[in-house]
Amino acid sequence: MNCSELRDHYEMYAMGLAEDPERDEIRAHLDRGCEVCMPEMKRARETVALLSGTPAPATPSPKLRRRILASVGVEQRGFGWAPFLAGSTVMCLAAAIYFGGREWDFSREVVRLTQQSRAQIMELTRLNEAFALMNGADTTVTSFGEKKPVPKGKLFYNPSMGALLIASNLPQAPAGKAYELWLIPKAKGASPVRSDMFQSESDGTVMHLIRGPIDANATAALAVTMEVESGVDAPTGSILIAAPLAPAIQ
Amino acid sequence: MFLLPILLAFRGAEADAALIVRLQRREPQALAELYDRYGRIAYALILRVVRDTGIAEDLVQETFLRVWNRVQAFDAQKGAVGPWLLAVARNRAIDYLRSAGGRERNNVEFEETDHPSLYTDMEPGILASDKARVVKAAIEKLSTHQRQVIELAYFEGLSQTEMAERMGQPLGTVKTWVRAALKVLRDELGAQAVSA
Repeated sequence: MNCSELRDHYEMYAMGLAEDPERDEIRAHLDRGCEVCMPEMKRARETVALLSGTPAPATPSPKLRRRILASVGVEQRGFGWAPFLAGSTVMCLAAAIYFGGREWDFSREVVRLTQQSRAQIMELTRLNEAFALMNGADTTVTSFGEKKPVPKGKLFYNPSMGALLIASNLPQAPAGKAYELWLIPKAKGASPVRSDMFQSESDGTVMHLIRGPIDANATAALAVTMEVESGVDAPTGSILIAAPLAPAIQ
Repeated sequence: MFLLPILLAFRGAEADAALIVRLQRREPQALAELYDRYGRIAYALILRVVRDTGIAEDLVQETFLRVWNRVQAFDAQKGAVGPWLLAVARNRAIDYLRSAGGRERNNVEFEETDHPSLYTDMEPGILASDKARVVKAAIEKLSTHQRQVIELAYFEGLSQTEMAERMGQPLGTVKTWVRAALKVLRDELGAQAVSA
């Protein structure tokens, strides 16, 4: 075929529609650098290329640009990992502050619960001791203040374990004051012996345990006065409670 | 409306030569600029062919990587990289359609786009904005059947035999429509391309 016979087939060739034998003829002309076919082919390719701009506009996702650049080893600046890392850092700091505060709160709570638990254990121990004393085989009970409006109660005495004072209607000790317990000797002229200090509850009750053996042969009674918190060597206030020891019956 | 991608993509066609040199130096930033210049139009073209955004994006990526890997054969002094890139884009898309449809690929087209030197003699302003109006006018001059065969050929890569089957028309009729359509385009666009 000569060049003029191929003239109608250049666009078909450029578009991929050419069929043999025209397709082979055009390729042969192009391969040998045909001076007629080369510029015609250029024009045909340009004509076909113009069609590439006819589709409706469309925009790919922003990720596509990053994907393409990443595929040739380009790391995107700006919107790469930086926002994620910055966000993570802020979150870590916030978490550290939050959990730091929570840890501080937890620590304080642990201390509070430990103290509460210790107090409860002490109270339980005290109650166990009180019940043990009350249930002791040698324990005797005396009442006091029954004829008076205040205060009144009972004294449980056990020669080997000590005594348990349970009273009510005790007035609240003013600030700086506390109740002081005295052992009143049987011997005439002997001075009361300091035993212990205690405070009443807000409702005026008290359950006070005096630990250790008390010699009933030498002690006639237990007495309570209100004294300064640090205690005094000899009673100065009036006697609020006087509970005689009742020795166990032999 | 459809002129916008051309206008945007080819506004900087005169800068293609410098861009090609940088691509040949393997400057990754040059690929970013190439994408900024031709990414949207390549995507629109491929999407028109495959009609699936996810597949279109994959094929755009494939197109730019192919250009990146074969740009050494491009003569930076002779013309614009755009027509070659869009030819690669179209062929990748049609190849996908053919694979999905169990059709044979058109080896001639693929051999050609593997040789970018065949495109380097195109004018840098071949698809400039003033050409876009002419393209629209030329397409409007086609009859319905002529426009249909051009679209089936260009955007679906159908051969004339395949078009005849698709349209349920005799092969001779389809060939007549094709020749007539291409003559209109040659007359309307060819002169523009040559005079660009």
